[in-house]
Amino acid sequence: MTRQLNLDDIQGNVTRGYGRFSFPFARYFFLHIEDPEAGRKFVDKVRGKVTTAARWTPETKPKVTLNIGFTFMGLLQLELPTRTLQSLPDEFIDGMKARAHILGDRDPTQTHVGDSEWCRHWDPLWRNNRTGNGEDVHIWISMNAQLAAEGSDTPHSDLEKQTQWLRSLCDELDQKVRILATNGQSGEDEYQSASAILADIGGYKVPTAKEHFGFTDGIGDPVFEGQYPDEQVPDVVKGRGKWMSPERGWEPLATGEFLLGYPDESQELAPTAVPQNFMHNGSFLVYRKLHENVGSFREVMAAEAETYAATMDVSREEAEETLKAKMVGRWSDGVPLAKVPTYAEWKAFRKERGFEDPNPEKAALALSRYLRSPAASDFRFADDMKGYKCPMGSHLRRVNTRDYLDPLNQADSDNPDATTQLNKRRRILRRGLPYGSATLGTGDDTTEQGIAFMVVCANIFRQFEFIQQQWIQYSLDFNLGNTTCPLLGNHEHHKRHVIPSDPESGKQPYIMNRLKTFVETRGGDYFFLPSMTALRMMAMGIVDPT
Amino acid sequence: MPNFDTGHLFLTTLAPIKKGTTLDDRGVKVSHEQKIRTTLAILPTALQSPATEEIGINSPFARNLRTHLCRFMVLDDVVFNGRVKQDAIVTALSGEDPIHPRPVDQLTNSFLLFVADIDAVTEDGAPLPAKLSKAQQDEVRDAYARRLWETMEAEICEIYENCEGFDTVKDADGFADYLRRCQVETTMPFNDYWLNPPNLHQLPVKGMAAVALVPLLVALLGAIGWFTGSVPLLTWIFGWTPGWTFAGGLIATALTVWGAYAYTLRNGEKPMPPGEYGDLPSVLKSLYLQQKFADFAVRMQGKSNAEIHAAFGDFIAETQPENKMAPTQVPGVISIQRKNAIFEQ
Repeated sequence: MTRQLNLDDIQGNVTRGYGRFSFPFARYFFLHIEDPEAGRKFVDKVRGKVTTAARWTPETKPKVTLNIGFTFMGLLQLELPTRTLQSLPDEFIDGMKARAHILGDRDPTQTHVGDSEWCRHWDPLWRNNRTGNGEDVHIWISMNAQLAAEGSDTPHSDLEKQTQWLRSLCDELDQKVRILATNGQSGEDEYQSASAILADIGGYKVPTAKEHFGFTDGIGDPVFEGQYPDEQVPDVVKGRGKWMSPERGWEPLATGEFLLGYPDESQELAPTAVPQNFMHNGSFLVYRKLHENVGSFREVMAAEAETYAATMDVSREEAEETLKAKMVGRWSDGVPLAKVPTYAEWKAFRKERGFEDPNPEKAALALSRYLRSPAASDFRFADDMKGYKCPMGSHLRRVNTRDYLDPLNQADSDNPDATTQLNKRRRILRRGLPYGSATLGTGDDTTEQGIAFMVVCANIFRQFEFIQQQWIQYSLDFNLGNTTCPLLGNHEHHKRHVIPSDPESGKQPYIMNRLKTFVETRGGDYFFLPSMTALRMMAMGIVDPT
Repeated sequence: MPNFDTGHLFLTTLAPIKKGTTLDDRGVKVSHEQKIRTTLAILPTALQSPATEEIGINSPFARNLRTHLCRFMVLDDVVFNGRVKQDAIVTALSGEDPIHPRPVDQLTNSFLLFVADIDAVTEDGAPLPAKLSKAQQDEVRDAYARRLWETMEAEICEIYENCEGFDTVKDADGFADYLRRCQVETTMPFNDYWLNPPNLHQLPVKGMAAVALVPLLVALLGAIGWFTGSVPLLTWIFGWTPGWTFAGGLIATALTVWGAYAYTLRNGEKPMPPGEYGDLPSVLKSLYLQQKFADFAVRMQGKSNAEIHAAFGDFIAETQPENKMAPTQVPGVISIQRKNAIFEQ
């Protein structure tokens, strides 16, 4: 019998990616606590507005959501008991800046002396964070808003109202809790705004799942026990839970992988602070502003496509589409390579599924239906050990290895019994939205665009940091030496991505060798996402670990 | 036994560190233990991090082509891990009073530990041996010690002058003799150069079982005869005494089982064969070739067969895959892209 979660105690963004629930606009605020007492008052006022994981009816669905998280420095400033603070996980205490080496945010070939200005390209907000100069980030507040009206490109007016409420709350507290208005490249923004990229269908604006390189994002987030109502689970878990065996199929991941206080996949509790009810139903959140160098991406893809087209004797269009797909593991519309491996098959698949319907509205609807169906996530990699369909080094195969790393897999043969036993300990919930221009294909490396990337997981070290360090910035697990993820990896020194080719096709493998760093971090930090109980304890100043 | 395995010598040595004080570089009085720790802390490591690359001074162990890995460490003492667990009832019955502390294991003084995984050869680049007698293993160790002395005498003296008994070491032979006296048996070697699963010494389990079963069956037959009183046919023909057969069979069974056990242990002690290309020059050459070949493959994309054929000839001429000594990657560097990282002939 599945344990029923107390959804009213859990913050809403743990169970839902708001972007997918028709909240295409977001504002992320970062605040500084000057005075602990004011901090507690602030928490007390905010907790009444926090959106929980309680399931919505059309009537109760809010127009705008609100969620809150705290850095370690924030918890320290709120005067939590020493015993609580010292039992928090090391990586959370360190914060993201101190973990730059692990995350690949610093050049691994530079010494500390030669690279003291390593974060100069970060936003001022994050550059000044953790300097102790009164600019430290203590609180993260996110607001997500629905559209003002269907087909419009503006957020619901409640977003601005709620923002105003936050501003006045800070005023009420004599700015002893204040919004750090140093967001953005220029350091002049009050908040980091984000919004889905909108498609224009005959003047009617529709939010899409695209990011600025043109890929479809956020398709296969993990599913854990208690997240969905029981009747939805059998469908939604396909390709998004853990693969147990051909008999048992897909099952939801253990709750404890994403919520604190529950057994995780090793049947242990993820390490966190005492007392038990302070951490129970809480989680950790990684906020990372990922800038996308769209200019470099366009340039490199054009150059590689030209060589690829000549080498493989295909059209430029096919070359570019194929290369992009082989970098990511999905075609640009989100169709997985593992199921539809070749360009010709993909074209046929699109036609058959109605993605190319002359009526753009119908086409968009067909695609959206497909992306939300289990078919878009229900695939595995162990039947493609050599990566002929989906390259071992592709982004998708790195960040969610599925059954590819089953310990009994052999390089030379299929393993029909392969499971996701190892992979299930390295799953993360992706939250957040793109930021920058709402239309695709504009801008260059210097303009502001990318993804306000967020990860929810129970153990930042074991889940997020492991994926980032071992799978994105390194390739030993995939037998690809020290190359890095073609999309997210740091390509200062490793510029290659190998695309294997089935010898039966008579074609050679292709090695992309001009990769540049397409995605770079502009800052971020690690936050604790308390439960409603914990927020109340913090507000009352009674987090008593004895 | 595991001092030698897979064609490698796994050397473990412990040198007692002198008690008392000496002067450090700045003329400050320090203990020998502190001096040796300082010396080790600033001994150049391989060029495998940005900081060490910037210093540009490679590890002195990169001056030979035998050392795969090595480590110096000061071993203070063994760790006290609390009383050994014991059954409370047994303790009570034996009359031991648990309130009294028991003796604690300790070392007499600090030791300098030096461990190394080296090719078990007496000349750089010689093929790895599958078998080595005890005397031959000693010869390999002595040759290695002499090679170290030839290539890093200054560093060795600076480190070991803080150790007991080193004062009399004056030359390569003296150092070889010193390391011999310091050597202890390695019990757990580690190998990481298998291209294919090694051909291990399989136990003839079925044969061994068959051999052990024969006396067991005889003993059983004896037991049956003994209990039933008579097996007429056998007694009549052979004048058989079942009691003695049972006893003899039992003893023979015990002896065979013991023999099988001893054989199993001896079989386990046999060194594993060397991995193909498991010697250091081959490892370095393969790292060199791998990087060169990856560059070549990228360069050849989209080229015609004739162009690739011609270029491959040049590639072979340049990289000389058959010659493992040169051109090759220098030991202690992370890739051939780095400065001075290729050893040309």
